[in-house]
Amino acid sequence: MTTQNPPRPAEDERRGALRGAVDGVRSVQLSTSQKLMIFVLSMSLFGLSNIILEIIPDPSIGPVDVSVSYMVFVPLTIAALFSPFWAALGAPLGEIVFTDLLMGDFSGLAEVEGYLQMFLAVFIAGSLIRNPRSRPQIVLGAIILVLVDKVLSAIVDLAKVWIGVEDAEFVEGLPESMLALEVLGLGVDVVMSGILLGAIPALWLIPALHGKIEPLMGMRPRTPGEPIPGQAPASGVFVGFALLLAVASFGFAFLEAFDISAGSFEPDFIDRFGDWFIVVAIIAIAVVLGVAILLFRAAQRSRETADRS
Amino acid sequence: MARKTHDVLSVDWIRLELLRTAYSTRGGLFSRLDPRIVLAWYLVMAIAPWLTHDTGVLLVLFALGVVSVVLARVGPLVLGLFLIGLLGNVIGLFAASFLFGGNLDTLVALAELNLKLGAVSMASMAAFVSLDPEKLSDALLWFRAPELLAFGVSYGYRMLPILVDEYVTVFEGQRLRHAPVERPGLLGWRVVRQWCVLAVTAFYPIMLNTAKNVRTTVEALETRGFTYGASNPAGRSLRLAYLRVSATDLAVLAATVVLVVAAFPLGGLLG
Repeated sequence: MTTQNPPRPAEDERRGALRGAVDGVRSVQLSTSQKLMIFVLSMSLFGLSNIILEIIPDPSIGPVDVSVSYMVFVPLTIAALFSPFWAALGAPLGEIVFTDLLMGDFSGLAEVEGYLQMFLAVFIAGSLIRNPRSRPQIVLGAIILVLVDKVLSAIVDLAKVWIGVEDAEFVEGLPESMLALEVLGLGVDVVMSGILLGAIPALWLIPALHGKIEPLMGMRPRTPGEPIPGQAPASGVFVGFALLLAVASFGFAFLEAFDISAGSFEPDFIDRFGDWFIVVAIIAIAVVLGVAILLFRAAQRSRETADRS
Repeated sequence: MARKTHDVLSVDWIRLELLRTAYSTRGGLFSRLDPRIVLAWYLVMAIAPWLTHDTGVLLVLFALGVVSVVLARVGPLVLGLFLIGLLGNVIGLFAASFLFGGNLDTLVALAELNLKLGAVSMASMAAFVSLDPEKLSDALLWFRAPELLAFGVSYGYRMLPILVDEYVTVFEGQRLRHAPVERPGLLGWRVVRQWCVLAVTAFYPIMLNTAKNVRTTVEALETRGFTYGASNPAGRSLRLAYLRVSATDLAVLAATVVLVVAAFPLGGLLG
């Protein structure tokens, strides 16, 4: 570690909520180009970290993969130092563009599911960090990020097997092994991705960059206690939007698992569920996404009017 | 022998290979087509495998995928990573279910899923390896994708080789300034640990550099009215005016549709 961290302030200086111009020039509200900068920064750095992980071989002990799935500290740092919302929008896109499209790993609808999960994970974890110099908050953020992402995808995987859309119950011993593997995998992921390549590097990197990287982007460093910049409002409307996104991500995963098979080549499938099942799934996703977008618009509008008043 | 593999698998080779992939300099059938047609072709090839559970049909579609990968001249790096991933997946899942009391039937059940995933991945390799960033983002814009997505794609493809290059420089510089570990320890764990620490600490200068680059890029873009121009209908039609669909495009798309549709009865005969 060649870079020395600046000394921690003895006590957190709380300045309370700031609004509008801070020192006559700079503002707490992000401008359009600053939002784009955070988005692009988060996208390229997370994409770069994924490429590096792609080159490193994945070791596995028996059936359990002990590799690092992503470098959690990268999106966490950007979410903690700049804005969780724009960092969360950019990070999963970086993964899709840099590794999945370029490496031919693009998996269609499952990418939408992965995008929504990663977005929620980074956004929730980043919003938890109110003070970029607080060690407990950084550790909590790193672990929550991995937990949200991995628990969501584990539930989706298990539910696929339980409902039987993946035909796994015809295979002896597969459902039990799936359950055991998911639980083991979750533990390994929290230790490897969340702590080894999440909390430990972030504990060093976030305080080291705090106050140094913001001026390069033409921004003022965050001070503890002020509202998160570029924050989506934490109102009930927005929480509803986030929950609906989570539901939609399940919907996409299931739609993929149902194979959109339209029935003609899978008579057995029809006997069990009937044609309507797929139609219902599609309509449900459409309704959920539509409501989510409406809620998001409403939340934005209420925030704009709040800013103006 | 060991030395030779080391030379082939150097980071520099990977970077060059990524550059060739991103800019589709290998040529190939799909790089001469209209980008919108390539995306439509990809949709046909990517959706078709999900419509069936028949192993015979999947085999035919898999073969179509192999042909398109050959026609698109996909490079060895991407192809190698794909093969390692596919084989690793099959072996790993098989070992897992074998441990919990499965048998050879497990392999057959897994073969279907892996054929499906393999066919879809090969279609995406063939399509996205053949599109250069500018064309791909224009095609996405034409399909009314969000502007941020179109921008992200073209920016990502352009910046990736530069970023990797910069990262390698920083990493090597850090490594040169560090003393090698005194004793490698059991299985060289100290060496591995030092590499991991270096790989993570290299992100500190990389983040600062990237922040500067991003600011320059974004400010240049905004000076030219990026955010407002992309959502303006006149600007959009001006940007997309050069896209033309030729007879070859339609012929390739029609041939693909015919082949995919023919795969279903043909696969039924096989299976």
